[in-house]
Amino acid sequence: MILDLERFQRQARPRWRDLESLLAALESRPDRRLNPAEAEQLQELYAQTAADLNRVTHGALAHELRQYLERLVARVYAELYFAPPVRSEIWKPRRWLRIFTAFPETFRRHARYFALAVLVTLLGCAFGGLAVRYDPASVDVLLPADYLRNPGQRVHEEEQGQGRHLDSAQTEAAFSAQLIRHNIQVALLAAALGVTFGIGTALLLFENGVLLGAVAVHYTRQGFGLFMTAWLLPHGVFEIPSILIAGQAGFYLARLLLRRREDRNVRQSMREWLVLVAGLAIMLVWAGLMEAFFSQHHAPVLPYGFKVAVAAAELVLLTIYLLMIGRRETGTGARSTVPPEYR
Amino acid sequence: MTDTQLTRAATAAELTIATPEGVLFRLPLAGPASRLYAMLLDTAIVLGTVNGVGLLVYWTFSKAPGFGFMVITLAEFAIGFAYSALLEGFWNGQTIGKRLFHLRVMDQDGLPLRIEQAWVRNLMRVFDALPFAYLVGGLSVLSSPLMQRFGDRVAGTLVVRQTPLAAPAEEFWMRQKYNSFMDYPAIAMKLRRATTPELATLIQDALRRRNELAAYARREIYRELATYLQSEISPFPDELVERLSDEQYLINAASILFGDQRPSRDQR
Repeated sequence: MILDLERFQRQARPRWRDLESLLAALESRPDRRLNPAEAEQLQELYAQTAADLNRVTHGALAHELRQYLERLVARVYAELYFAPPVRSEIWKPRRWLRIFTAFPETFRRHARYFALAVLVTLLGCAFGGLAVRYDPASVDVLLPADYLRNPGQRVHEEEQGQGRHLDSAQTEAAFSAQLIRHNIQVALLAAALGVTFGIGTALLLFENGVLLGAVAVHYTRQGFGLFMTAWLLPHGVFEIPSILIAGQAGFYLARLLLRRREDRNVRQSMREWLVLVAGLAIMLVWAGLMEAFFSQHHAPVLPYGFKVAVAAAELVLLTIYLLMIGRRETGTGARSTVPPEYR
Repeated sequence: MTDTQLTRAATAAELTIATPEGVLFRLPLAGPASRLYAMLLDTAIVLGTVNGVGLLVYWTFSKAPGFGFMVITLAEFAIGFAYSALLEGFWNGQTIGKRLFHLRVMDQDGLPLRIEQAWVRNLMRVFDALPFAYLVGGLSVLSSPLMQRFGDRVAGTLVVRQTPLAAPAEEFWMRQKYNSFMDYPAIAMKLRRATTPELATLIQDALRRRNELAAYARREIYRELATYLQSEISPFPDELVERLSDEQYLINAASILFGDQRPSRDQR
């Protein structure tokens, strides 16, 4: 019980003020480090102020004073119990370049979610493909855009170069930016939809699969199989896997949320999710560039065989990258107990 | 201060944190409205920046508008996500909008948020912004006890109100210069000795809430308290008490109980 609230405040006010100014210094420069004397002072002032708060909470009906002390203690607590990354650590290029090895490592560690994404997409492909195969009229429902429905006309236009109004690197650059942006948005949505316990992710992947299957069967049946392969694969070999990886990230997130709260290693999991998203974003940049600058050139300019060969080479390189680069996991288990080696 | 303000303060969502030292403190959580305002402001800032950058780029690439467009599109996209993530990650969980509206993003445990949390909660915006105008995120905030949108739930973060620190002002009854009760040090001493802590708190609280009480209630409460003190604890002479209002009686009593003016000092 504090009977003499005024004397209490008079005595304690200087240390609250000291603590406030120390706090202000810390908060204004998040990368600031304390020297040992300051750290000791901070700890001591914090302990005293926390004790003051306890006395006020239990011993006096001083509402504003309590609120003030609570806020002060809360903010010092946040500074005291948190070690922000050091600035030099953040700006080390090597740390950032690690994404290129961390991405395949993370991909392999959670390969089973990737398998699930592939499965869902294949189901969609089968559905779309079979529907078009046995009920050609369903094309009108399954393929949204007009241009996908008339392969003959489209191929003719493409080969004549009529599809593009401005045949220049300028248009292609602008086109690539839109593609990159759109694809990353869709992929990010697939990864974020994991929050719907994976249902949204699955629906998105399935729909994507239906579209793929329908287009493939539709074009092949009309005899444009080679054109389509050469048209879609040079960027598709990056675009499709990256959407699948987005699905992997989504399912991974869903699995995390389905775990009991105590069993989650949230910090590590968030990092893995981010690594997957960052990796697929980089893949999509490449896919966007390929789609705009390479895929849109057709037979007279670029022979289809060459385009398919390029696509095959890309696929091989991507596979090698995803499967071989980075640290090998010990054993074949998909699950890793290896602690994060940075931080 | 009115009654409605009090009720709102009492029902506002809070997060209670227990520290290892056994200290309990509460963090006031931010509601959807202030967060929306902060977000609108941030959006305006981002759009302004992007357009500024866009003009510059357009001018630089005036010979190659296609590449200019490419740079602008990608920069706009990247800035849109990176603005919030980087500012929150490196600037105490605050964007410019959040700082102006006294908001701060924190970890669920009352600690500053880490950079990966900032990225996750901001990348999740693609979901929270669905289907339009942050409907999903808004519903999530309203249905969550910690007022978290989905991005916050995944990243384990929450948005708190962080108003500037202001130590409370001194109690008004301590400012009075002359206390007529001091003329009777013996009775004042008795008042100080015989008052229980509960009674002292009651008097203090009644005075402190002076402006929150309805006039009628205040009169009644002050009268009861003053009558009780006068009859049971410290019978000051009638000729003094008759000249004092009940409120002044309590103020005098409070400054003897809590304040600087103690009977013992005057007895030197």
